[in-house]
Amino acid sequence: MYVLLRQLQAIRRAAGLRRDTPYSLAVRHVDAGSCNGCEHELGAASNPLYDLPRLGLDIVASPRHADILLVTGPVTTRMAGPLRTAYDAMPEPRLVAALGDCALGCNVLGAASELIGALEDVLPVDIRIPGCPPTPEQIADHLVRGIAAARGRVAANSARK
Amino acid sequence: MSWRDEVSAALAGGARFAGAWASGDVWRAAFVDGDGVRVLSCPAARAESIVDLVPAAGWDEREAHDLHGLAFPGRPLVDHTAPGWATPVTGDGVHEVAVGPIHAGVIESGHFRFHTVGDRVLVLDVRLFYKHRGLEAAARGRDVADGLAYAQRACAACAVANSVAYAQAVEDALGLAPDRDLRVARTLALELERLYNHLHDIGALCAGVGFAAGTMAFAALKERAQRLNARLCGHRFLFGTVRVGAGGLAVDEPAAARAEVRALRAEAAAGWRDLEFATSVQARLDGVGVLAPDDAVRLGATGPAARASGVRSDARSHAPRLWYGDFVPARPREETGDVAARLQVRAAELEATCELLDELLAAPVAAGRTRDDGSRGGAGARDAVLGRGAPSTRDSALGRGAPSAPDGALGRGAPSRDSSLGRGAGARDSGLAIGVGRVESPRGATLCAVEVAGGTVARLRLRTASYANWPAVAHAAAGCLLPDFPLINKSFELCYACVDR
Repeated sequence: MYVLLRQLQAIRRAAGLRRDTPYSLAVRHVDAGSCNGCEHELGAASNPLYDLPRLGLDIVASPRHADILLVTGPVTTRMAGPLRTAYDAMPEPRLVAALGDCALGCNVLGAASELIGALEDVLPVDIRIPGCPPTPEQIADHLVRGIAAARGRVAANSARK
Repeated sequence: MSWRDEVSAALAGGARFAGAWASGDVWRAAFVDGDGVRVLSCPAARAESIVDLVPAAGWDEREAHDLHGLAFPGRPLVDHTAPGWATPVTGDGVHEVAVGPIHAGVIESGHFRFHTVGDRVLVLDVRLFYKHRGLEAAARGRDVADGLAYAQRACAACAVANSVAYAQAVEDALGLAPDRDLRVARTLALELERLYNHLHDIGALCAGVGFAAGTMAFAALKERAQRLNARLCGHRFLFGTVRVGAGGLAVDEPAAARAEVRALRAEAAAGWRDLEFATSVQARLDGVGVLAPDDAVRLGATGPAARASGVRSDARSHAPRLWYGDFVPARPREETGDVAARLQVRAAELEATCELLDELLAAPVAAGRTRDDGSRGGAGARDAVLGRGAPSTRDSALGRGAPSAPDGALGRGAPSRDSSLGRGAGARDSGLAIGVGRVESPRGATLCAVEVAGGTVARLRLRTASYANWPAVAHAAAGCLLPDFPLINKSFELCYACVDR
């Protein structure tokens, strides 16, 4: 294990990632019919060269623990039900992020009869992350900016009350 | 001759099943025969189940039944429309454990239904196709060049393998052969894909045993391999490096890429040695998720999973449309068919892939091109298939009019094209040509069949290595401990996307 740990130490030093602006939000990912590209890149966002957790963003196993529902794929007829179930299980306030061009409804998608439509047709989308697939950097960047914007909206709403 | 007799005769002659698909009112099955692929056809109304002869055809037949309405008399089908359908498992203390379609991590969607006694798995029902997007149906009627996007989008992690298989299929149908440069360029893209996939898969297996140091170190190596992809072609998954009948991935100055592959190879080898001495990893691998050699053959397993069980086959051994030379399939230390052997095969292939990349990147790589291979009756016949120019006779469109190139030399997709097409009802229509491509993806042999008519895709069938291997996963999991399933699953590391399409 020594070699692996030494490699990791070197990677962490060389990457020199900033570790400020923590957010502490939990992300639940749902694959609604993607090509697995967005999954690979979302997974890569947690590798030592991006280290998503340093931004306070954690991937969690249960929608009940999640603040953000991060959805990939063009939403197949078979995944629409489980997707809604996951959303319904989330506590409020909750955000929905569309990850990748398919979820945004603009890609080589498939047969219309097998698809519900873009994520927007199923759930209210707060954060849009374009790309095919978006790179881990773009994913992290859009999440951080999207969350900041959503925070502003929440703050404005509470001030009005 | 009945369909079953035809299939039996093919099998008796040493042919191996490679996939089956419905096309209009025709039912077809592809067999690997010698160095080529042979396609048998029969009218859909005459289709009979062959699962007792070829268990590997189980999913193909089910798919033809569900999506294309074919009937397979005599084959009992599990009723998937019944609520909570399951393979009936009864007895004392049998429990069902349902997992998915949404899994706990960043994983593709699919459902596993375990029937267990205590911690031990009796039977595993693998229920996929939650991600079915109808890509094959959507490709229908598209120009053959545009159809490639549908094969490629089936799966990002196998994008190159699927695209090359598609391009080979169309080129086979049109009588086009890649020149040396194109063969090298496509082989380069295929091996770059294998490089990042195998690095990913070794890391994923570490995740399966909860060994974070290995997971993270190999994730970082995979990241570097993907950054190399982006530097070479502008895309981390090598999208856009394959085109039908046209040039592939060109690298004008390969020195930096070659140096990076060497560096990755050295670090991966050092990391691998460390894994071999990590007791907490090694203690979990031996004797877990065993796939016996007979079962691997019977179920049609392919790729690292099959090689780990002692099936010494690799589509790269017979790949005249690519640039593999005298390729020797990798082997594990011992062909035990367990998680350990599957991991060892990947490590051995990683070395071989780095070695091959080192050779390929020793000199600038040109994009290459295709040329007429003379097998389909030349440009006139191609025009007929493409639906342009002067109408040509049916025979020449099907390549019967012209002397055929030596099948072995060119590795033609369908050596017995004449006899196979002669039987197909649909294939008699003028201007329809069937092409087959077969490529070794990181997960095994992927077959793509394209039926071309009027320059458009009449039928696309993509039967990926993952499609071939999922039944073997269910088989390997039976008798194992439920907590070992993530490990067994990751040792196969199959895609859901390229199965569901």
